Amino acid sequence: MDWVFLSELAINGALTGLLYSLFAIGLVLIYKASSVPNLAQGGLTMVGAYVVLALSHDAGLPLWLAIPLAAVIMFGLGFGIERVALRRLAGRPVVMILMLTLGLDIFLRGITLAIWGGTSRSVDLGVSYEPLFLGDIFVSRIHLVGAGVALALFVAFMLFFRTRTGIKLRAIADDYMASWSVGISVERGVGLSWALASVVAVAAGVIWGEIQGVDQALSLLLLKGLTVAVLGGLDSILGAVIAGIILGVVENVGADFLDPLVGGGSRELIVAAVLILTVMIRPHGLFGRHDIERV
Amino acid sequence: MQEKVEAEHILSMNSVEVLYDNVMLAIKGVSVKVPKGEMIALLGSNGAGKSTTLKAISGLLKAERGRISRGEVTFQGTDITEVLAQNRVGMGICHVIEGRRVFEHLTPDENLTAAAPRGMSRSALNAENEKIYDYFPRLAERRNSQAGYLSGGEQQMLAIGRALVTQPKLLMLDEPSLGLAPFLVEEIFGILQKINQEEGVSVLLVEQNALAALEIVSQGYLIENGRVVMHGTAEALKSNSDIQEFYLGGGEETDFHNVKHYSRRKRWLS
Ligand SMILES: Nc1ncnc2c1ncn2[C@@H]1O[C@H](COP(=O)(O)OP(=O)(O)OP(=O)(O)O)[C@@H](O)[C@H]1O
Ligand SMILES: [Mg+2]
Repeated sequence: MDWVFLSELAINGALTGLLYSLFAIGLVLIYKASSVPNLAQGGLTMVGAYVVLALSHDAGLPLWLAIPLAAVIMFGLGFGIERVALRRLAGRPVVMILMLTLGLDIFLRGITLAIWGGTSRSVDLGVSYEPLFLGDIFVSRIHLVGAGVALALFVAFMLFFRTRTGIKLRAIADDYMASWSVGISVERGVGLSWALASVVAVAAGVIWGEIQGVDQALSLLLLKGLTVAVLGGLDSILGAVIAGIILGVVENVGADFLDPLVGGGSRELIVAAVLILTVMIRPHGLFGRHDIERV
Repeated sequence: MQEKVEAEHILSMNSVEVLYDNVMLAIKGVSVKVPKGEMIALLGSNGAGKSTTLKAISGLLKAERGRISRGEVTFQGTDITEVLAQNRVGMGICHVIEGRRVFEHLTPDENLTAAAPRGMSRSALNAENEKIYDYFPRLAERRNSQAGYLSGGEQQMLAIGRALVTQPKLLMLDEPSLGLAPFLVEEIFGILQKINQEEGVSVLLVEQNALAALEIVSQGYLIENGRVVMHGTAEALKSNSDIQEFYLGGGEETDFHNVKHYSRRKRWLS
Protein backbone atom coordinates (compact mmCIF):
# COMPACT_ATOMS: atom_id res chain seq x y z
CA MET A 1 0.00 0.00 0.00
CA ASP A 2 1.44 3.34 -1.07
CA TRP A 3 0.40 5.73 1.68
CA VAL A 4 1.70 8.84 -0.02
CA PHE A 5 -0.27 8.01 -3.12
CA LEU A 6 -3.35 7.20 -1.09
CA SER A 7 -3.21 10.47 0.83
CA GLU A 8 -2.69 12.31 -2.42
CA LEU A 9 -5.86 10.70 -3.73
CA ALA A 10 -7.72 11.52 -0.54
CA ILE A 11 -6.56 15.14 -0.34
CA ASN A 12 -7.31 15.89 -3.97
CA GLY A 13 -10.59 14.08 -3.59
CA ALA A 14 -11.47 16.26 -0.61
CA LEU A 15 -10.59 19.41 -2.56
CA THR A 16 -12.72 18.33 -5.52
CA GLY A 17 -15.43 17.44 -3.04
CA LEU A 18 -15.38 20.97 -1.62
CA LEU A 19 -15.97 22.19 -5.14
CA TYR A 20 -19.08 20.02 -5.22
CA SER A 21 -19.99 21.64 -1.89
CA LEU A 22 -19.55 25.04 -3.50
CA PHE A 23 -22.25 24.05 -5.94
CA ALA A 24 -24.42 22.30 -3.35
CA ILE A 25 -24.55 25.36 -1.05
CA GLY A 26 -26.74 27.04 -3.67
CA LEU A 27 -29.09 24.06 -3.65
CA VAL A 28 -29.33 24.13 0.13
CA LEU A 29 -30.17 27.85 0.22
CA ILE A 30 -33.16 27.33 -2.05
CA TYR A 31 -34.24 24.11 -0.41
CA LYS A 32 -34.39 25.82 2.97
CA ALA A 33 -36.82 28.46 1.75
CA SER A 34 -38.86 26.54 -0.83
CA SER A 35 -38.58 22.87 0.20
CA VAL A 36 -37.57 21.85 -3.31
CA PRO A 37 -34.21 20.85 -4.71
CA ASN A 38 -33.61 23.46 -7.38
CA LEU A 39 -33.08 21.49 -10.58
CA ALA A 40 -32.08 24.72 -12.31
CA GLN A 41 -28.98 25.23 -10.16
CA GLY A 42 -26.81 23.67 -12.92
CA GLY A 43 -28.29 26.03 -15.48
CA LEU A 44 -27.79 28.99 -13.14
CA THR A 45 -24.16 28.00 -12.58
CA MET A 46 -23.57 27.87 -16.30
CA VAL A 47 -25.27 31.23 -16.81
CA GLY A 48 -23.16 32.65 -14.00
CA ALA A 49 -20.00 31.58 -15.82
CA TYR A 50 -21.23 32.92 -19.16
CA VAL A 51 -22.13 36.27 -17.65
CA VAL A 52 -18.62 36.55 -16.24
CA LEU A 53 -17.21 35.72 -19.67
CA ALA A 54 -19.50 38.21 -21.36
CA LEU A 55 -18.37 40.97 -19.01
CA SER A 56 -14.68 40.11 -19.09
CA HIS A 57 -13.78 38.61 -22.47
CA ASP A 58 -16.54 40.21 -24.52
CA ALA A 59 -16.95 43.58 -22.83
CA GLY A 60 -13.30 43.82 -21.83
CA LEU A 61 -13.70 44.39 -18.10
CA PRO A 62 -10.99 43.04 -15.81
CA LEU A 63 -11.97 39.86 -13.96
CA TRP A 64 -11.84 41.48 -10.52
CA LEU A 65 -14.61 43.78 -11.72
CA ALA A 66 -16.46 41.32 -13.96
CA ILE A 67 -17.00 38.72 -11.23
CA PRO A 68 -18.63 41.01 -8.63
CA LEU A 69 -20.66 42.65 -11.38
CA ALA A 70 -21.85 39.23 -12.54
CA ALA A 71 -22.74 38.44 -8.93
CA VAL A 72 -24.90 41.57 -8.79
CA ILE A 73 -26.60 40.72 -12.08
CA MET A 74 -27.26 37.15 -10.98
CA PHE A 75 -28.57 38.40 -7.61
CA GLY A 76 -31.14 40.39 -9.57
CA LEU A 77 -31.92 37.40 -11.77
CA GLY A 78 -32.61 35.26 -8.70
CA PHE A 79 -35.07 37.82 -7.36
CA GLY A 80 -36.62 38.04 -10.82
CA ILE A 81 -37.22 34.29 -10.97
CA GLU A 82 -39.22 34.43 -7.74
CA ARG A 83 -41.17 37.47 -8.90
CA VAL A 84 -42.05 36.19 -12.37
CA ALA A 85 -42.42 32.47 -11.89
CA LEU A 86 -42.45 31.22 -8.31
CA ARG A 87 -44.88 33.68 -6.79
CA ARG A 88 -47.67 32.32 -8.96
CA LEU A 89 -47.07 28.85 -7.59
CA ALA A 90 -47.40 29.78 -3.92
CA GLY A 91 -49.63 27.26 -2.19
CA ARG A 92 -49.42 24.70 -5.00
CA PRO A 93 -47.99 21.23 -4.47
CA VAL A 94 -44.24 21.17 -4.09
CA VAL A 95 -43.88 18.85 -7.08
CA MET A 96 -45.17 21.67 -9.31
CA ILE A 97 -42.41 23.94 -8.07
CA LEU A 98 -39.94 21.14 -8.74
CA MET A 99 -41.20 20.84 -12.30
CA LEU A 100 -40.91 24.59 -12.67
CA THR A 101 -37.22 24.43 -11.74
CA LEU A 102 -36.73 21.66 -14.29
CA GLY A 103 -38.37 23.81 -16.95
CA LEU A 104 -36.15 26.71 -15.91
CA ASP A 105 -33.05 24.55 -16.29
CA ILE A 106 -34.04 23.52 -19.81
CA PHE A 107 -34.74 27.16 -20.61
CA LEU A 108 -31.38 28.36 -19.29
CA ARG A 109 -29.53 25.69 -21.27
CA GLY A 110 -31.41 26.62 -24.42
CA ILE A 111 -30.84 30.33 -24.05
CA THR A 112 -27.10 29.99 -23.35
CA LEU A 113 -26.75 27.72 -26.37
CA ALA A 114 -28.59 30.27 -28.50
CA ILE A 115 -26.52 33.22 -27.30
CA TRP A 116 -23.07 31.79 -26.77
CA GLY A 117 -23.08 28.63 -28.91
CA GLY A 118 -21.73 25.23 -28.05
CA THR A 119 -17.98 25.68 -28.19
CA SER A 120 -16.16 25.53 -24.91
CA ARG A 121 -14.51 28.72 -23.65
CA SER A 122 -12.12 29.22 -20.81
CA VAL A 123 -12.36 31.70 -17.97
CA ASP A 124 -8.63 32.16 -17.47
CA LEU A 125 -8.48 33.19 -13.86
CA GLY A 126 -4.72 33.40 -14.05
CA VAL A 127 -4.18 30.70 -11.44
CA SER A 128 -0.95 28.88 -12.23
CA TYR A 129 -1.07 25.30 -13.38
CA GLU A 130 2.38 24.68 -11.92
CA PRO A 131 2.02 21.74 -9.56
CA LEU A 132 2.06 22.60 -5.91
CA PHE A 133 3.77 20.15 -3.58
CA LEU A 134 2.75 19.83 0.05
CA GLY A 135 5.60 17.61 1.17
CA ASP A 136 5.42 14.73 -1.24
CA ILE A 137 1.83 15.33 -2.15
CA PHE A 138 0.82 17.05 -5.33
CA VAL A 139 -2.25 19.27 -5.27
CA SER A 140 -3.87 21.40 -7.93
CA ARG A 141 -3.77 25.12 -7.23
CA ILE A 142 -7.12 25.90 -8.78
CA HIS A 143 -8.74 23.21 -6.67
CA LEU A 144 -7.15 24.74 -3.62
CA VAL A 145 -8.48 28.17 -4.55
CA GLY A 146 -11.95 26.75 -5.18
CA ALA A 147 -11.97 24.89 -1.88
CA GLY A 148 -11.02 28.13 -0.15
CA VAL A 149 -13.93 29.92 -1.83
CA ALA A 150 -16.29 27.15 -0.73
CA LEU A 151 -15.13 27.38 2.87
CA ALA A 152 -15.33 31.18 2.82
CA LEU A 153 -18.92 31.03 1.56
CA PHE A 154 -19.72 28.43 4.20
CA VAL A 155 -18.50 30.72 6.96
CA ALA A 156 -20.27 33.71 5.43
CA PHE A 157 -23.59 31.90 5.33
CA MET A 158 -23.23 30.51 8.84
CA LEU A 159 -22.81 34.09 10.03
CA PHE A 160 -25.60 35.34 7.79
CA PHE A 161 -28.11 32.90 9.28
CA ARG A 162 -27.47 34.45 12.70
CA THR A 163 -28.40 37.96 11.51
CA ARG A 164 -31.95 39.21 11.77
CA THR A 165 -32.57 38.73 8.05
CA GLY A 166 -31.05 35.25 8.24
CA ILE A 167 -33.27 34.34 11.18
CA LYS A 168 -36.32 35.52 9.23
CA LEU A 169 -35.26 33.28 6.33
CA ARG A 170 -35.00 30.32 8.70
CA ALA A 171 -38.44 31.20 10.07
CA ILE A 172 -39.81 31.11 6.54
CA ALA A 173 -38.20 27.71 6.05
CA ASP A 174 -40.06 26.51 9.14
CA ASP A 175 -43.58 27.80 8.52
CA TYR A 176 -44.93 30.10 5.79
CA MET A 177 -48.25 30.76 7.49
CA ALA A 178 -46.73 31.62 10.84
CA SER A 179 -44.24 33.88 9.04
CA TRP A 180 -47.00 35.80 7.33
CA SER A 181 -48.86 36.06 10.63
CA VAL A 182 -46.04 38.10 12.17
CA GLY A 183 -45.53 40.27 9.12
CA ILE A 184 -42.56 38.53 7.50
CA SER A 185 -42.68 38.88 3.74
CA VAL A 186 -42.35 35.26 2.67
CA GLU A 187 -42.18 36.30 -0.98
CA ARG A 188 -39.20 38.57 -0.42
CA GLY A 189 -37.51 35.89 1.67
CA VAL A 190 -37.89 33.26 -1.02
CA GLY A 191 -36.66 35.79 -3.58
CA LEU A 192 -33.64 36.51 -1.41
CA SER A 193 -32.79 32.82 -1.15
CA TRP A 194 -32.89 32.52 -4.95
CA ALA A 195 -30.79 35.64 -5.27
CA LEU A 196 -28.16 34.29 -2.87
CA ALA A 197 -28.15 30.90 -4.60
CA SER A 198 -27.59 32.71 -7.89
CA VAL A 199 -24.58 34.49 -6.43
CA VAL A 200 -23.23 31.14 -5.26
CA ALA A 201 -23.77 29.95 -8.84
CA VAL A 202 -21.38 32.66 -10.07
CA ALA A 203 -18.68 31.43 -7.69
CA ALA A 204 -19.21 27.81 -8.69
CA GLY A 205 -19.44 28.73 -12.37
CA VAL A 206 -16.15 30.62 -12.35
CA ILE A 207 -14.20 27.90 -10.51
CA TRP A 208 -15.67 25.00 -12.44
CA GLY A 209 -15.48 26.99 -15.68
CA GLU A 210 -11.76 27.43 -15.04
CA ILE A 211 -11.33 23.71 -14.43
CA GLN A 212 -13.40 22.19 -17.21
CA GLY A 213 -14.18 25.10 -19.54
CA VAL A 214 -17.42 26.97 -19.94
CA ASP A 215 -19.94 25.08 -22.02
CA GLN A 216 -23.19 23.17 -21.69
CA ALA A 217 -21.49 20.43 -19.66
CA LEU A 218 -21.25 22.88 -16.75
CA SER A 219 -24.95 22.40 -16.07
CA LEU A 220 -24.37 18.68 -15.47
CA LEU A 221 -22.68 19.57 -12.20
CA LEU A 222 -26.23 19.37 -10.88
CA LEU A 223 -25.93 15.59 -10.60
CA LYS A 224 -22.98 15.58 -8.24
CA GLY A 225 -24.15 18.72 -6.49
CA LEU A 226 -27.51 17.13 -5.81
CA THR A 227 -25.86 13.98 -4.50
CA VAL A 228 -23.82 16.05 -2.08
CA ALA A 229 -26.83 18.09 -0.99
CA VAL A 230 -28.90 14.95 -0.37
CA LEU A 231 -26.09 13.25 1.53
CA GLY A 232 -25.66 16.40 3.62
CA GLY A 233 -29.37 16.55 4.37
CA LEU A 234 -30.64 19.09 1.79
CA ASP A 235 -31.22 21.86 4.29
CA SER A 236 -27.88 21.95 6.05
CA ILE A 237 -25.01 24.06 4.79
CA LEU A 238 -22.62 22.34 7.16
CA GLY A 239 -24.00 19.07 5.79
CA ALA A 240 -23.23 20.18 2.23
CA VAL A 241 -19.62 20.93 3.15
CA ILE A 242 -19.00 17.67 4.98
CA ALA A 243 -20.89 15.58 2.44
CA GLY A 244 -18.86 17.20 -0.35
CA ILE A 245 -15.62 16.18 1.30
CA ILE A 246 -16.93 12.65 1.88
CA LEU A 247 -18.16 12.21 -1.67
CA GLY A 248 -14.95 13.64 -3.12
CA VAL A 249 -12.73 11.32 -1.10
CA VAL A 250 -14.87 8.22 -1.65
CA GLU A 251 -15.10 8.95 -5.34
CA ASN A 252 -11.39 9.56 -5.84
CA VAL A 253 -10.06 6.74 -3.69
CA GLY A 254 -12.83 4.32 -4.69
CA ALA A 255 -12.35 4.94 -8.39
CA ASP A 256 -8.65 4.21 -8.06
CA PHE A 257 -9.48 0.77 -6.65
CA LEU A 258 -12.44 0.03 -8.86
CA ASP A 259 -11.41 1.40 -12.23
CA PRO A 260 -8.86 -1.36 -12.92
CA LEU A 261 -11.51 -3.93 -12.00
CA VAL A 262 -14.46 -2.59 -13.98
CA GLY A 263 -12.43 -0.88 -16.70
CA GLY A 264 -13.46 2.75 -16.08
CA GLY A 265 -16.68 4.57 -15.34
CA SER A 266 -16.60 3.69 -11.68
CA ARG A 267 -16.79 7.36 -10.58
CA GLU A 268 -20.33 7.61 -11.85
CA LEU A 269 -21.20 4.31 -10.23
CA ILE A 270 -19.86 5.48 -6.90
CA VAL A 271 -21.82 8.74 -7.07
CA ALA A 272 -24.97 6.85 -8.02
CA ALA A 273 -24.45 4.39 -5.18
CA VAL A 274 -24.02 7.21 -2.66
CA LEU A 275 -27.18 8.95 -3.82
CA ILE A 276 -29.31 5.83 -3.90
CA LEU A 277 -28.05 4.45 -0.61
CA THR A 278 -28.54 7.78 1.14
CA VAL A 279 -32.14 8.01 0.04
CA MET A 280 -32.77 4.40 1.03
CA ILE A 281 -30.94 4.23 4.33
CA ARG A 282 -30.82 7.77 5.62
CA PRO A 283 -33.37 9.93 3.82
CA HIS A 284 -32.61 12.97 5.96
CA GLY A 285 -28.94 12.74 5.08
CA LEU A 286 -26.17 13.33 7.56
CA PHE A 287 -27.39 16.61 8.98
CA GLY A 288 -30.90 17.08 7.63
CA ARG A 289 -33.48 18.03 10.16
CA HIS A 290 -36.46 15.89 10.89
CA ASP A 291 -39.76 17.44 11.60
CA ILE A 292 -39.95 17.65 15.33
CA GLU A 293 -42.47 15.31 16.83
CA ARG A 294 -43.11 15.64 20.51
CA VAL A 295 -44.70 12.77 22.31
CA MET B 1 -74.37 58.91 21.05
CA GLN B 2 -74.24 56.13 18.50
CA GLU B 3 -71.51 57.97 16.56
CA LYS B 4 -69.37 58.43 19.61
CA VAL B 5 -69.45 54.71 20.31
CA GLU B 6 -68.49 54.01 16.69
CA ALA B 7 -65.41 56.16 16.93
CA GLU B 8 -64.12 54.15 19.84
CA HIS B 9 -64.06 50.87 18.01
CA ILE B 10 -60.55 49.89 17.05
CA LEU B 11 -61.97 47.25 14.74
CA SER B 12 -65.25 46.89 13.02
CA MET B 13 -66.26 44.21 10.65
CA ASN B 14 -69.44 44.83 8.72
CA SER B 15 -71.51 42.05 7.13
CA VAL B 16 -68.44 40.20 5.94
CA GLU B 17 -68.81 37.21 3.68
CA VAL B 18 -65.85 34.97 2.96
CA LEU B 19 -65.44 32.60 0.04
CA TYR B 20 -62.79 29.90 -0.11
CA ASP B 21 -61.74 28.73 -3.57
CA ASN B 22 -64.45 31.03 -4.96
CA VAL B 23 -67.15 28.51 -4.04
CA MET B 24 -67.15 27.63 -0.37
CA LEU B 25 -69.06 30.27 1.59
CA ALA B 26 -67.50 30.00 5.04
CA ILE B 27 -68.98 33.04 6.79
CA LYS B 28 -72.21 34.65 5.73
CA GLY B 29 -72.38 38.26 6.81
CA VAL B 30 -70.52 38.48 10.10
CA SER B 31 -70.40 41.81 11.96
CA VAL B 32 -68.07 42.07 14.91
CA LYS B 33 -66.85 45.17 16.70
CA VAL B 34 -63.96 45.48 19.11
CA PRO B 35 -64.07 48.56 21.36
CA LYS B 36 -60.65 50.07 21.89
CA GLY B 37 -58.80 48.60 24.84
CA GLU B 38 -61.32 45.87 25.53
CA MET B 39 -61.25 42.10 25.36
CA ILE B 40 -63.88 40.43 23.22
CA ALA B 41 -64.57 36.73 22.80
CA LEU B 42 -65.72 34.91 19.70
CA LEU B 43 -67.39 31.67 20.69
CA GLY B 44 -68.77 28.83 18.65
CA SER B 45 -68.36 25.19 17.82
CA ASN B 46 -66.19 23.40 15.27
CA GLY B 47 -66.54 24.72 11.75
CA ALA B 48 -68.66 27.70 12.85
CA GLY B 49 -66.37 30.18 11.10
CA LYS B 50 -64.36 31.60 13.99
CA SER B 51 -60.94 31.12 12.43
CA THR B 52 -62.21 32.38 9.10
CA THR B 53 -63.40 35.56 10.83
CA LEU B 54 -59.93 36.13 12.30
CA LYS B 55 -58.27 35.44 8.96
CA ALA B 56 -60.53 37.95 7.28
CA ILE B 57 -59.30 40.54 9.78
CA SER B 58 -55.59 39.62 9.58
CA GLY B 59 -55.55 39.08 5.83
CA LEU B 60 -54.24 35.53 6.13
CA LEU B 61 -57.24 34.35 4.10
CA LYS B 62 -55.27 34.94 0.97
CA ALA B 63 -52.75 32.27 1.88
CA GLU B 64 -55.61 29.76 1.89
CA ARG B 65 -57.18 30.92 -1.34
CA GLY B 66 -59.96 32.68 0.50
CA ARG B 67 -61.26 36.19 -0.04
CA ILE B 68 -63.80 38.64 1.32
CA SER B 69 -66.62 38.65 -1.20
CA ARG B 70 -68.87 41.13 0.58
CA GLY B 71 -68.70 43.63 3.42
CA GLU B 72 -65.66 45.42 4.76
CA VAL B 73 -63.20 45.48 7.63
CA THR B 74 -62.12 48.78 9.11
CA PHE B 75 -59.27 49.20 11.55
CA GLN B 76 -58.89 52.49 13.39
CA GLY B 77 -61.25 54.04 10.90
CA THR B 78 -59.37 52.86 7.79
CA ASP B 79 -60.83 50.34 5.37
CA ILE B 80 -58.29 47.51 5.29
CA THR B 81 -60.25 45.00 3.24
CA GLU B 82 -57.69 45.15 0.41
CA VAL B 83 -54.53 45.62 2.50
CA LEU B 84 -51.87 42.87 2.37
CA ALA B 85 -51.48 40.73 5.49
CA GLN B 86 -47.91 41.85 6.12
CA ASN B 87 -48.96 45.49 6.00
CA ARG B 88 -51.80 44.85 8.45
CA VAL B 89 -49.21 43.59 10.91
CA GLY B 90 -47.41 46.87 10.41
CA MET B 91 -50.65 48.74 11.17
CA GLY B 92 -50.97 46.89 14.48
CA ILE B 93 -53.06 43.78 13.85
CA CYS B 94 -51.47 40.52 14.90
CA HIS B 95 -53.08 37.11 14.62
CA VAL B 96 -51.84 34.25 16.78
CA ILE B 97 -52.91 31.43 14.50
CA GLU B 98 -54.56 28.18 15.51
CA GLY B 99 -52.35 25.35 16.72
CA ARG B 100 -49.45 27.36 18.17
CA ARG B 101 -47.20 27.11 15.13
CA VAL B 102 -43.98 28.41 16.67
CA PHE B 103 -40.87 28.31 14.46
CA GLU B 104 -39.84 24.86 15.64
CA HIS B 105 -36.21 24.86 14.60
CA LEU B 106 -35.53 28.27 16.06
CA THR B 107 -34.97 29.07 19.72
CA PRO B 108 -37.51 31.22 21.59
CA ASP B 109 -35.07 34.13 21.32
CA GLU B 110 -34.90 33.64 17.58
CA ASN B 111 -38.67 33.26 17.34
CA LEU B 112 -38.98 36.70 18.87
CA THR B 113 -36.30 38.15 16.61
CA ALA B 114 -38.03 36.75 13.54
CA ALA B 115 -41.14 38.76 14.40
CA ALA B 116 -39.29 42.05 14.93
CA PRO B 117 -40.70 44.78 12.70
CA ARG B 118 -38.35 46.21 10.14
CA GLY B 119 -36.50 49.13 11.61
CA MET B 120 -36.79 48.03 15.24
CA SER B 121 -33.41 48.71 16.81
CA ARG B 122 -31.47 45.98 18.53
CA SER B 123 -31.86 47.65 21.91
CA ALA B 124 -35.60 48.11 21.43
CA LEU B 125 -35.85 44.43 20.50
CA ASN B 126 -33.88 43.40 23.57
CA ALA B 127 -36.10 45.49 25.80
CA GLU B 128 -39.16 43.98 24.15
CA ASN B 129 -37.80 40.46 24.69
CA GLU B 130 -37.15 41.10 28.38
CA LYS B 131 -40.67 42.44 28.79
CA ILE B 132 -42.07 39.29 27.17
CA TYR B 133 -39.94 37.04 29.36
CA ASP B 134 -41.26 38.96 32.36
CA TYR B 135 -44.79 38.09 31.33
CA PHE B 136 -43.78 34.47 30.71
CA PRO B 137 -41.00 33.57 33.16
CA ARG B 138 -41.36 29.89 32.22
CA LEU B 139 -40.23 30.77 28.73
CA ALA B 140 -37.18 32.66 29.93
CA GLU B 141 -35.66 29.48 31.30
CA ARG B 142 -35.81 27.87 27.89
CA ARG B 143 -34.97 30.83 25.75
CA ASN B 144 -32.05 29.10 24.05
CA SER B 145 -33.48 25.65 23.44
CA GLN B 146 -35.23 24.55 20.27
CA ALA B 147 -38.81 25.80 20.29
CA GLY B 148 -40.12 22.55 18.78
CA TYR B 149 -39.26 20.77 22.01
CA LEU B 150 -41.06 23.17 24.35
CA SER B 151 -44.22 21.95 26.06
CA GLY B 152 -47.59 22.86 24.59
CA GLY B 153 -48.12 25.61 27.15
CA GLU B 154 -44.68 27.07 26.59
CA GLN B 155 -45.25 27.04 22.84
CA GLN B 156 -48.51 28.90 23.28
CA MET B 157 -46.74 31.46 25.45
CA LEU B 158 -44.05 31.81 22.81
CA ALA B 159 -46.66 32.26 20.08
CA ILE B 160 -48.23 35.07 22.12
CA GLY B 161 -44.85 36.60 22.90
CA ARG B 162 -43.89 36.45 19.25
CA ALA B 163 -47.06 38.34 18.39
CA LEU B 164 -46.29 40.99 21.02
CA VAL B 165 -42.96 41.75 19.35
CA THR B 166 -44.88 43.07 16.34
CA GLN B 167 -46.26 45.83 18.62
CA PRO B 168 -49.93 45.03 18.08
CA LYS B 169 -52.77 47.35 18.91
CA LEU B 170 -55.20 44.51 18.29
CA LEU B 171 -54.14 41.03 19.33
CA MET B 172 -56.20 38.16 17.96
CA LEU B 173 -55.82 34.68 19.40
CA ASP B 174 -57.24 31.53 17.86
CA GLU B 175 -58.03 28.94 20.54
CA PRO B 176 -55.02 29.50 22.78
CA SER B 177 -56.42 27.05 25.34
CA LEU B 178 -56.54 24.12 22.93
CA GLY B 179 -55.08 20.99 24.47
CA LEU B 180 -53.82 22.72 27.60
CA ALA B 181 -54.45 21.74 31.20
CA PRO B 182 -56.95 23.99 33.04
CA PHE B 183 -54.31 25.52 35.32
CA LEU B 184 -52.28 26.53 32.27
CA VAL B 185 -55.32 28.01 30.57
CA GLU B 186 -55.91 30.05 33.69
CA GLU B 187 -52.28 31.19 33.77
CA ILE B 188 -52.25 32.20 30.10
CA PHE B 189 -55.60 33.96 30.29
CA GLY B 190 -54.40 35.82 33.35
CA ILE B 191 -51.38 37.02 31.42
CA LEU B 192 -53.56 38.08 28.50
CA GLN B 193 -55.60 40.16 30.89
CA LYS B 194 -52.43 41.72 32.27
CA ILE B 195 -51.18 42.53 28.76
CA ASN B 196 -54.55 44.07 27.96
CA GLN B 197 -54.48 46.24 31.05
CA GLU B 198 -50.81 47.21 31.07
CA GLU B 199 -50.30 47.81 27.38
CA GLY B 200 -53.80 48.82 26.36
CA VAL B 201 -53.80 46.17 23.66
CA SER B 202 -57.30 45.29 22.46
CA VAL B 203 -57.91 41.56 22.33
CA LEU B 204 -60.13 39.42 20.15
CA LEU B 205 -60.18 35.93 21.58
CA VAL B 206 -61.53 32.91 19.73
CA GLU B 207 -62.41 30.13 22.14
CA GLN B 208 -64.36 26.92 22.46
CA ASN B 209 -63.69 27.03 26.16
CA ALA B 210 -66.53 29.48 26.83
CA LEU B 211 -66.34 29.26 30.59
CA ALA B 212 -62.73 30.41 30.77
CA ALA B 213 -63.13 33.00 28.03
CA LEU B 214 -66.22 34.66 29.52
CA GLU B 215 -64.30 35.19 32.76
CA ILE B 216 -61.84 37.60 31.17
CA VAL B 217 -63.70 39.36 28.35
CA SER B 218 -66.24 42.17 28.50
CA GLN B 219 -68.38 41.02 25.59
CA GLY B 220 -68.85 37.91 23.53
CA TYR B 221 -70.19 36.93 20.15
CA LEU B 222 -71.54 33.50 19.44
CA ILE B 223 -71.03 32.26 15.89
CA GLU B 224 -72.89 29.34 14.42
CA ASN B 225 -72.85 28.22 10.81
CA GLY B 226 -71.06 31.31 9.59
CA ARG B 227 -73.42 33.77 11.30
CA VAL B 228 -73.47 35.71 14.55
CA VAL B 229 -76.37 34.22 16.50
CA MET B 230 -75.85 35.99 19.78
CA HIS B 231 -73.99 39.04 21.07
CA GLY B 232 -73.92 40.43 24.56
CA THR B 233 -71.90 41.31 27.61
CA ALA B 234 -70.02 38.51 29.28
CA GLU B 235 -72.43 38.70 32.19
CA ALA B 236 -75.47 38.42 29.96
CA LEU B 237 -73.98 35.48 28.06
CA LYS B 238 -73.02 33.69 31.24
CA SER B 239 -76.56 33.95 32.55
CA ASN B 240 -78.21 33.07 29.25
CA SER B 241 -80.02 29.81 29.68
CA ASP B 242 -78.97 28.33 26.32
CA ILE B 243 -75.35 29.16 26.89
CA GLN B 244 -75.54 27.77 30.39
CA GLU B 245 -77.12 24.59 29.29
CA PHE B 246 -74.88 23.79 26.38
CA TYR B 247 -71.65 25.65 26.92
CA LEU B 248 -71.10 26.08 30.57
CA GLY B 249 -72.63 22.87 31.79
CA GLY B 250 -74.17 22.32 35.18
CA GLY B 251 -71.29 23.79 37.14
CA GLU B 252 -68.68 21.55 35.57
CA GLU B 253 -66.63 22.66 32.63
CA THR B 254 -68.02 21.65 29.28
CA ASP B 255 -66.69 22.80 26.00
CA PHE B 256 -68.22 22.68 22.57
CA HIS B 257 -66.45 19.53 21.56
CA ASN B 258 -68.76 17.57 23.81
CA VAL B 259 -72.01 19.10 22.77
CA LYS B 260 -74.21 17.56 20.14
CA HIS B 261 -74.39 19.87 17.19
CA TYR B 262 -77.97 19.42 16.02
CA SER B 263 -79.60 20.37 19.27
CA ARG B 264 -77.80 23.69 19.42
CA ARG B 265 -78.48 24.54 15.85
CA LYS B 266 -82.17 23.89 16.31
CA ARG B 267 -82.38 26.40 19.09
CA TRP B 268 -80.53 29.30 17.52
CA LEU B 269 -81.26 29.02 13.88
CA SER B 270 -84.94 28.20 13.84
N1 LIG C 1 -58.90 26.79 3.58
C1 LIG C 1 -60.19 26.43 3.48
N2 LIG C 1 -60.70 26.03 2.30
C2 LIG C 1 -62.00 25.66 2.20
N3 LIG C 1 -62.87 25.67 3.22
C3 LIG C 1 -62.41 26.07 4.43
C4 LIG C 1 -61.06 26.46 4.62
N4 LIG C 1 -60.88 26.79 5.92
C5 LIG C 1 -62.08 26.61 6.50
N5 LIG C 1 -63.00 26.18 5.63
C6 LIG C 1 -64.42 25.90 5.91
O1 LIG C 1 -65.02 27.06 6.42
C7 LIG C 1 -65.87 26.76 7.50
C8 LIG C 1 -65.45 27.53 8.74
O2 LIG C 1 -64.17 27.08 9.15
P1 LIG C 1 -63.34 27.75 10.32
O3 LIG C 1 -61.99 27.15 10.30
O4 LIG C 1 -63.44 29.21 10.22
O5 LIG C 1 -64.15 27.23 11.59
P2 LIG C 1 -63.80 27.37 13.13
O6 LIG C 1 -64.98 28.00 13.77
O7 LIG C 1 -62.50 28.02 13.32
O8 LIG C 1 -63.74 25.85 13.58
P3 LIG C 1 -62.75 25.11 14.62
O9 LIG C 1 -63.30 25.35 15.96
O10 LIG C 1 -62.86 23.68 14.23
O11 LIG C 1 -61.40 25.67 14.43
C9 LIG C 1 -65.80 25.26 7.70
O12 LIG C 1 -66.92 24.69 7.06
C10 LIG C 1 -64.54 24.85 6.99
O13 LIG C 1 -64.68 23.57 6.44
MG1 LIG D 1 -60.71 27.41 13.99
